[in-house]
Amino acid sequence: MTTPKARTQPKGQPVWQIVARREIAVRATDRSTLIGTAVMLAVIVGVLGFTAWSESREKTYDLAYSSAIARAMAEGIAERATDIDEKVSIEPVAVDDADAARRALEEEQADAYLHSSAKGWTLVTLEDPDSELRDVVSQAVEAIVLAGNADAAGTTAAELTKGSEVAIDQLEGDSELTAIRYVVGYALAIVFYFASIMFGMTLANSVVEEKQSRIVEMIAAAVPLRQLLAGKIIGNAVIAVGQMLIYVAVGLVGLSLTDFSFALPALSSAIGWFVVFFLIGFVVLSTLWAVAGALASRTEDLQSSSTPITMLLMVMFFGALYLDGVGEVVGSYVPPLSAVLMPMRLVDGSAAWWEPIIAVLLLLAFGIALVRLAERLYSRALLQTGGQLSLKAAWRLEE
Amino acid sequence: MLKVSGLTRRFGDMVAVDDVSFPVPSGGLTGFVGGNGAGKTTTMRMIMGVLAAHAGTVSWQGHEVTREDRRRFGYMPEERGLYPKQPILDQLVYLARLRGMTTADARREIGTLLERFGLGGRTKDPLEKLSLGNQQRVQIIAALVPAPMALILDEPFSGLDPDAIEAMADLLREHARDGVPVVFSSHQLDLVDRLCDRLVVMARGRVVIQGTGEELRAEAALRYRLVLDGDAGWVRDLPGLHVRDVSGPEAEIEVVSEGAEQKLLSEAVTRGGVLDFHRVVPRLSEIYREVTA
Repeated sequence: MTTPKARTQPKGQPVWQIVARREIAVRATDRSTLIGTAVMLAVIVGVLGFTAWSESREKTYDLAYSSAIARAMAEGIAERATDIDEKVSIEPVAVDDADAARRALEEEQADAYLHSSAKGWTLVTLEDPDSELRDVVSQAVEAIVLAGNADAAGTTAAELTKGSEVAIDQLEGDSELTAIRYVVGYALAIVFYFASIMFGMTLANSVVEEKQSRIVEMIAAAVPLRQLLAGKIIGNAVIAVGQMLIYVAVGLVGLSLTDFSFALPALSSAIGWFVVFFLIGFVVLSTLWAVAGALASRTEDLQSSSTPITMLLMVMFFGALYLDGVGEVVGSYVPPLSAVLMPMRLVDGSAAWWEPIIAVLLLLAFGIALVRLAERLYSRALLQTGGQLSLKAAWRLEE
Repeated sequence: MLKVSGLTRRFGDMVAVDDVSFPVPSGGLTGFVGGNGAGKTTTMRMIMGVLAAHAGTVSWQGHEVTREDRRRFGYMPEERGLYPKQPILDQLVYLARLRGMTTADARREIGTLLERFGLGGRTKDPLEKLSLGNQQRVQIIAALVPAPMALILDEPFSGLDPDAIEAMADLLREHARDGVPVVFSSHQLDLVDRLCDRLVVMARGRVVIQGTGEELRAEAALRYRLVLDGDAGWVRDLPGLHVRDVSGPEAEIEVVSEGAEQKLLSEAVTRGGVLDFHRVVPRLSEIYREVTA
C-alpha cells in the first residue's frame, strides 16, 4: 500500500472563526446591506439635522389687530415676546376689521388675529395655533392686563403676585430629562425590535440558503454543526453590532449638537446596559432565527417557519410599549422580555443598580438553555431537505 | 484502507441499510452499485458521519474513523451544491479552510485544479454565472480539495458531459494511484465496469455481491453457447443443465452439475454438426440484474 502524498495539517483557526469570517466578508460586501446602511444613516442624520435646525430657527408671527386698543396690546406683546420665548418674535399687522382679518388669515397674510371680547381677549387662528405663539400671547396678555388692573387698584403687579410663585425642586433629574428618558426608552425598544427582525431574517436566509443550495451536507461532513451555527451567529452578531455602533455613534454625535445634549451624561450608563442586554438578547434570538432557517427547505418556506419567532418579537415589543407599574417591573426580569424592558427601566431611572445584574443572569441562563435546544433542532433539521418541517417533527428527528 | 463493518440504519420501521460490510482498499477504485433506494446514499452518509449509524463501524487505517479523519476525506454528496452568489475561488477556499487547510495552500491547490478544468480565468465569477457543466466541475474540485485522504463520492458522474466524465475518471485514477482509497456510486454500470477494481452491489439495503470484476464473473454460473446445424430443442432433455434460451439451432445453457457441459458437447457431436460452442462471460449488467432480481 502506498502512502498518500505528504500533507501538512495546519493547527488552524477554530472552525467557528472561519465560518464567522465568511459571514462577515459576504455580508460586508453585499450591495443591499451597504445600501441599507447608507439609507439608515441618511435617515438618522436627516432626523437629527431637522431637529437641530427647527430648534434653532427663530419664528416670527404676524399678529393682526383692527382697533386701537388691540394695537396697544399687540405692541405690548411684541415688546415682551422675546423675554417670554427667545426664539419667538411678534410682528403687529394692522387690518381694517374682523372680516379683513379673516381674509388675511385665510390668505396667510397673518398668523393670528387678536381682538378684545367681553371677558378679555380672543386669539383667532386658521388652525391649531403653534404652542409657542399661544404661550407668548397668553402670557404677555396676562402680564399686561395684570399690570393694568394693578395700576387701577393703586398697586403693582409684583405686589399682587408676591408669594404666589411655586418653585419646582425635583429630587431626581428634571422634567425635561424625564421626557427624554421616555423617548430614548422607546427608541431603544424600537431599535432592538428592528435589529432583531432585520438581522434575524438575514441569518435565517443564510441558513436556508445553505440548505437550499445543498452545500450544507458538504459542510456537515467536514465540521461539527454546532461550530457552523456558532460561526454564523457570531458573524451575524458582529455585523449587527458593528452597524448598531455606527448608528449609535452618528446618533450620539448628532444628539450632542442639539439642545438635548445635556441628557447624554445621565443616560450613558443606561445605554451601556442596553448594549449588554442587546447583545445577549440578540444572540439568544439569533439561535431561534437559525432554527427557523433550518426548518425551512426553501426561502419561500421561511415566512411560515419564522412565524413563532416573529410572534415572540411582537410580544416583546408590545410588552415593552404597554407594560407599566408592577407589570413592567416583573417583565423586566422575565427573559427574553427583560432584554428590552430592563434597559427601558434603566433609561427611565426606575431600576436600582442591582436589578440589571439579576436580569442579565436570568437572561443568560435562559439563553444557554435555549441555545442548547436550538442547536438540537438546528442540527437535526438542517439535513432534511424534503419540504418544511414542524418544530415537533424536527425535535423527533434522529441524527 | 477504509473499512465498513456491519453498518445498519433504520428510518422508522424501514431498514434502509442492513448489516453492510465492505472494504475500500487503498490504491484502487471501488464501485458502489445498486438501484434507487438500495441504500447506497445512506451508507455513504454514514461513512461520512453525516448520518448516525444504528449499528456497525467505519474504520480508517485500522482504527475507528474520527471526525478529524473525516475532515480530510473528500466527499461529494448525492444532493450537492455550492453558494450560487459567491465567487468560485472564494467559496472553494472557504470549504478547504473548513477542512483544515491554510488559505495559502488552498489557493494554490485550487488554482491548479481550476486551471486543469479550464476555469483559470473565471475565479472571480460567482458560481451562478457559470454554465451547468462548469458548475459541475467546480463541484468536483470542492470534493477533491484539499488533497484528500480518501474519496467518498455519491454519483460523481451524474450530469457530467462526456469530456467532464473523462476528466473526472482521470482524476479518480490519479488519486487511486497515489494510494487514496476511492469509493463512488453510480448507475452507469459500464463505466463502473471499466473503471473499478472492486465492486459492491447493494439491493434492498444489503450487499448482495462484492469483489473484483473477475471474482464476480467467476462466481456467476458457468454459461455456454451452442450453435448446431439442426434444431437444438433436445438440449432441454439433458440432466445437470439449466437452459436459459433456445431458439432454432442456438442454445444458451448454464451448468448446474459439473461436467454436464461435456456430456452436452459429445451428445451434440453424435447428433450432427456443431458450428459453435463457447464459454459465455457475463457482462456486469447481466450479473447485476441477476443478483438484484
